[in-house]
Amino acid sequence: MSTTEPIPVLRTSTFTCVRCGLTTAVLDPAGARRDHCPSCLSSRHVVDRVEGGSADCGGRMVPISIAVPRGDAWRLIHRCTRCDELSESAVSTDDNHLVLMRLAVRPLAEPPFPLDLFGEV
Amino acid sequence: MGRRNTRGRRRAQRAKSVTHAHGEVGRSRSFRCARCRLEVPADAPGTAHRNHCPHCLTSLHVDRRVPGDRAADCRGRMDAVSVSARPDGEWMIIHRCTRCGGLSANRIAGDDNARSLVRMAVRPLAAARPSAADLARRVLIDL
Repeated sequence: MSTTEPIPVLRTSTFTCVRCGLTTAVLDPAGARRDHCPSCLSSRHVVDRVEGGSADCGGRMVPISIAVPRGDAWRLIHRCTRCDELSESAVSTDDNHLVLMRLAVRPLAEPPFPLDLFGEV
Repeated sequence: MGRRNTRGRRRAQRAKSVTHAHGEVGRSRSFRCARCRLEVPADAPGTAHRNHCPHCLTSLHVDRRVPGDRAADCRGRMDAVSVSARPDGEWMIIHRCTRCGGLSANRIAGDDNARSLVRMAVRPLAAARPSAADLARRVLIDL
């Protein structure tokens, strides 16, 4: 939901992160609605992606990776710790850069095959 | 890409009395990739649940919530969008359906194309587009 004119009540409303307890504004600096904590990037499973509509799981969702579909901006992939469902959301500008970068380099930090061979091929 | 008639809606197939399967009833031992049309045997080294082409890592949207339930009626092509590492260091491929946007995760197999995997893993850090590259550069400067 990235409208130019947000609903006035959204401008003042806040939510509390289920993991780190940080209280943040619902809207990010760009005016879009947040769905994850900007500090620890955790989210809550409230939207059902398979059926559509709202989910009754409500579990904590942890960020597992960063996807870059078609060379566009980064998107964050979450996985629910309760029911293992996946979701994706856009990265906002004030998201924690340290956590984002850690997610982006985590696969390269522990490769399943030796990466130094790629210099030769 | 093979020849496929995408214009008209296809007539539903007749119910078959014979399943052309050798092992588990109703499951064939190989499948054809939806993108590069490679014939892929279903048994893979390192995993018992192969669901993607080892060459181009593309999958098909056939499962709904539980892997293997074959309950989805989307049947769209699922492109690999990212790689995530488990806490034990194993890589998972995240697929995204090009038709409905559904997501799924699958472990990599032993014969998956290493070049495609690494290309996907470095994609967040690579300078594909100014937007992604700018974000990566800004993140690195901030750290």
